[in-house]
Amino acid sequence: MRIRCQMIQNHGLAGSYKTFWVRTQPNSPRPRVFSLFAYKTKVLLCSSRSALLTVCRSMASSSSLSAVSERRGIPGASFVEDVQSYLTQLGLDVNSALAFLQERLQQYKLVEMKLLAQQRDLQAKIPDIEKCLDIVATLQDKKGAGEALIADFEVSEGIYSRARIEECDYVCLWLGANVMLEYPCEEAVALLQNNLENARASLEVLVGDLQFLRDQVTITQVTIARVYNWDVHQRRSRQAAAAIKES
Amino acid sequence: MEKMSLEQLKALKEQSDMEVNLLQDSLNNIRTATVRLEMASNALHDLSLRPQGKKMLVPLTASLYVPGTLDDADKVLVDVGTGYFIEKTMPEGKDYCERKINLLKSNYDQLIEVASKKKSIADEAGVMLQTKLRQVAPTT
Repeated sequence: MRIRCQMIQNHGLAGSYKTFWVRTQPNSPRPRVFSLFAYKTKVLLCSSRSALLTVCRSMASSSSLSAVSERRGIPGASFVEDVQSYLTQLGLDVNSALAFLQERLQQYKLVEMKLLAQQRDLQAKIPDIEKCLDIVATLQDKKGAGEALIADFEVSEGIYSRARIEECDYVCLWLGANVMLEYPCEEAVALLQNNLENARASLEVLVGDLQFLRDQVTITQVTIARVYNWDVHQRRSRQAAAAIKES
Repeated sequence: MEKMSLEQLKALKEQSDMEVNLLQDSLNNIRTATVRLEMASNALHDLSLRPQGKKMLVPLTASLYVPGTLDDADKVLVDVGTGYFIEKTMPEGKDYCERKINLLKSNYDQLIEVASKKKSIADEAGVMLQTKLRQVAPTT
């Protein structure tokens, strides 16, 4: 028996999913799919399709809205109860159905990469905004003291020079796109707070999106495996029927 | 190298290729570091031209600037690595940058020599492999 393992890992709640392609008999033309499914802390070896189906069903129903919905532009993958009716509903034969599902999978992967990149950017921005807030707060505290602040600032990488900051009511914030605006201290604090909250909120939404995406990826992969299995089953039964006819 | 068998030649070629890649990476790193140091040196030079007490916008973080005045342009802090900063005068700071750039340049030259030698070994092994394969192929 030859086993080819393809491990698709989801971090977090969605669980991990391993697919084994196994030749059930030495001369069988195409292998069947057994699935090792780890959901949260439980590991189920679902060689029986019914077990895998129940787990997938629970996953599909637990994802945010109904199974066929989309979320912020990501199409949802609907769980396939019966492969025959799915194929007739789509009006495709097995190969084109498999191709369509594979393409969907690629699209999901692309979106996942984009979302991961956005997540990295946000995670870099948030500490920066927090630092700015701290500094403006310090400046405001120093205001009453009446003495100038001596600060070391970065001239270039590795080189720092000294500057003296007299009392000042305003700070300049770099807003990006070659735009820098002068703000009085209170407005600057308000703006930075706003930015920080927006960044944190978008990060949360992003994490939710990634979760949803991973669920859809898993459902699509299970669908592919099931369509494949069904096809193998069909071929086998056709071959058996042909063999019986000849004999 | 002619005495080596096919497998040994293959192993040698793979190893030489890996070493060449590693050396190329190091060369790239040195090049980027040199460029950054040259920028720092230019910035220092520019700073030395500014008089003390000149009004400027002081960057306190990447996006926050506060109006202030240049304090003592004669003193600079240089980052020597592992969290250590040394206060130097302007000419000393410039000298430090120059020395670092020269050190990096000499390292770069040495590495280029080693890299080219390795590359020639890798190429030779590749050519030997081809000839051996051609010898073996017609006989089978």
